[in-house]
Amino acid sequence: MTETLTASVDALRECVLDAGARGVALRVVGRGAWLDAGRGARTTESISTRELAGIIEYVPGDLTLTARAGTTLAEIREATAEHNQRLALDPHGTDDGTLGATVATASAGPLAASFGTPRDLTLGVEFVMGTGAVARGGGRVVKNVAGFDLTRLLTGSWGTLGILTEITVRLHARPEADESFAVSLERPGSAESVRRVLRRLPFTPYACEIVNDTFAAFLGIGHGETALLRLGGNAAAVRAQRTAFAELGVPREIDAAVWTRLRQAEPAGAIVFRMSHSASEIARTWTEANAVAVGCAGTLLHASPTRGVVRCIVPSSDGAAGWLRRAFGAPTMTTRIGERLPVDLWPMVSSAPASDPISSGIKRTFDPKSVLNAGILGEVQ
Amino acid sequence: MTLTAAPASKIDQALASRLAAIVGERRVLFRPSELLTYASDGLPSYSKQPGLAVFPGTREEVIAVVRELARLGLPFVPRGAGTGLSGGALADGVVLVGLNRLSRILSIDAENGRAVVEPGVVNVSLSRAVAALGYHYAPDPSSQTACTIGGNVAENAGGPHCLKYGVTTNHVVALTVLLPSGEVVTLGNASGEQEGYDLVGTFVGSEGCFGIALDVTVRLSRNPESVRTLLADFLSIDAAARAVSAIVATGIVPAALEMIDQATIRAVESSIYAAGYPVDAAAALLIELDGATAGLEHDVATVEALCASNGARTVRVARDDAERARLWQGRKKAFGAMGRLASHLVVQDAVVPRTKLPEVLAQIAEIGVRQRVRICNVFHAGDGNLHPNIPYDASDADESARVHLAMREIMTACVNAGGSITGEHGVGLDKLPYMDLIFTPESLATMCALREVFDPDRRSNPGKVVPVHACREWHMAPSARPHREIL
Repeated sequence: MTETLTASVDALRECVLDAGARGVALRVVGRGAWLDAGRGARTTESISTRELAGIIEYVPGDLTLTARAGTTLAEIREATAEHNQRLALDPHGTDDGTLGATVATASAGPLAASFGTPRDLTLGVEFVMGTGAVARGGGRVVKNVAGFDLTRLLTGSWGTLGILTEITVRLHARPEADESFAVSLERPGSAESVRRVLRRLPFTPYACEIVNDTFAAFLGIGHGETALLRLGGNAAAVRAQRTAFAELGVPREIDAAVWTRLRQAEPAGAIVFRMSHSASEIARTWTEANAVAVGCAGTLLHASPTRGVVRCIVPSSDGAAGWLRRAFGAPTMTTRIGERLPVDLWPMVSSAPASDPISSGIKRTFDPKSVLNAGILGEVQ
Repeated sequence: MTLTAAPASKIDQALASRLAAIVGERRVLFRPSELLTYASDGLPSYSKQPGLAVFPGTREEVIAVVRELARLGLPFVPRGAGTGLSGGALADGVVLVGLNRLSRILSIDAENGRAVVEPGVVNVSLSRAVAALGYHYAPDPSSQTACTIGGNVAENAGGPHCLKYGVTTNHVVALTVLLPSGEVVTLGNASGEQEGYDLVGTFVGSEGCFGIALDVTVRLSRNPESVRTLLADFLSIDAAARAVSAIVATGIVPAALEMIDQATIRAVESSIYAAGYPVDAAAALLIELDGATAGLEHDVATVEALCASNGARTVRVARDDAERARLWQGRKKAFGAMGRLASHLVVQDAVVPRTKLPEVLAQIAEIGVRQRVRICNVFHAGDGNLHPNIPYDASDADESARVHLAMREIMTACVNAGGSITGEHGVGLDKLPYMDLIFTPESLATMCALREVFDPDRRSNPGKVVPVHACREWHMAPSARPHREIL
């Protein structure tokens, strides 16, 4: 696939107009970390924003940062850490990924339990539409209702409406204490008991994930179903928060590096998808996910009980895809969302999420010639 | 496709009768004297009388009314309680669809912290209804005792506590929407993640231009275990603004961080809403910290120390709920207290980066002196969301002109500081002239085009949010033509 690198918005616009004139569809790429995810884009050439990089404006006192889309999360982490701040997004993968890809895919990790997803943290965007028009939504301030919300629309639109070129995000100051703990859960099916404890607590942990036995072993934090906790605030608050979890078991302090390992746990070629339902249904969703782990050896599971989401990482094997094909054919109460799947499984998991009349109308308006990431959301053209 | 509203001549007795057949005769207002009540919203500087007002009482009636209007090609304006501050709910000679009678809370899911409400549910009623379950609905505009959730969704309303908890868009998970065509669609996923475009986020804040929310699934917030409310007073606005920056930089996120300047303090203290604010202070900060009891006192002590080190004369911590309520009453009723100062009042809603607060507040003071108008500032300092209020006498043409100039100059100063023209009130009619200051023609045209996906004939709340000239340009632009044909 031919790849075009663009280092300016004008060049990007020209490239999009040229592709439209030639009737070519472009695969929109940041640093290309997810190109093997199997999503069925009908494209023949690609365009990368990785050279459209760099922080444009960072005023620590405003707790906002504006960067070009190709800026890596690592660069943002380093710049903000100098001022004891951070972008509270920990999407799965490494910090070599770009801000543009994170926002375009609305990717979020465990911190979403407390800080929200890119839809909550993105304040403004600039983007090049399929028509070649360059538009902006939102702005650089933390509160803004001027005009229709193009920022929310573009966030999570997978590059199908516009190529993000510049993004402003909300930052958070790092707390006095930010500590991580593991609690071994005595009984299987403890997802529900963790949710019940969380519901009663007078605070929200920065993150709380439940991992299955295989994942606990992979992370080196013991065996059996385990709750991973990330607690933040002032020292007195964190002490009290730790105590509050005692009824689940004894919290053991662990190295914060566990969160990085969790984010990067996918073996090459793994099949990755999420299942979600209401938080109160987490026991059922967790049971359904555990059936996957029984059917496919080596499956890593982690659940965000407050969000009702379970993420399944299934190592590649001859049997796994076939087992999942059968499982996905069975009825389920949960919503399944694909992250990385064999091509033939995509339609079974994420069946055309942007094919309703309004989404189709928006796609036709923003990208009438279907130049951008055609088909990646199963949209009908 | 029409660019202008359908002729008002279509609003006649026959239409009134047809709508009365749906909602009952008492629920259709057609005589000018009856419609006068609906000529303004919370911003008294605008007056636009609707041609007819209709007040459906059920979801089915709303659908039937909108389908009838669609059949006739008539524009309409959805309206909640009419407390908005941007002229957004004004119907200029067109049909006004009042949704305040749809006031049922349809369901409450305590396990998941969700509620499904009709659009006419009053904001504070929802918090009251879920209080016994340990929840509240976090967005709390100052008009919360009257404004409706439907109106909050339309405007993406905020409020003092949005600093910590987020604005309306952060609290809406799903919507059932009646498109202007009369079609009903479901947006979002009430139980589970949503893939695809964020149509809920796109609809929230669309100011009634994308259709009518028939029901809204909202996220409820747990009541905090403890709350501490502080009042710190300063001898200069600059010092108060510095204290704001210092607090935010610590990582402590106050539930609310409000600034009240001397002019506002004096207006409040001479009104029935007197809250005990020191009248000789240049500015006061009303700071609320909430959350788990453990660790909260530590944060209170940190905030007290930061106020003191930035020049606070006194820092008072409310001893009990009664004192806390009194401190908040002064803030929440400040707008009402200013009503005593003059017959009319305008309020601006600009946002600036927090670090620009001292500089912009100095410019606002200078503009007030130069234009000889009295500016009262009471605002969400933690977000940089300014609310300069100017009381004036609208019958004095010279003063009105100066007020208008001052407002424009304030807005320009905020935009030049890298800010936005509205933080929570919406564009409506009032901010329409300023949209060109912050958005390029291409961005405005994109917004027009997005609106047309929901409302191809632009019949729902016509003439609001995006200046008409931007939409005309969209239609004339050669690059826009091919896909219009597809649509």
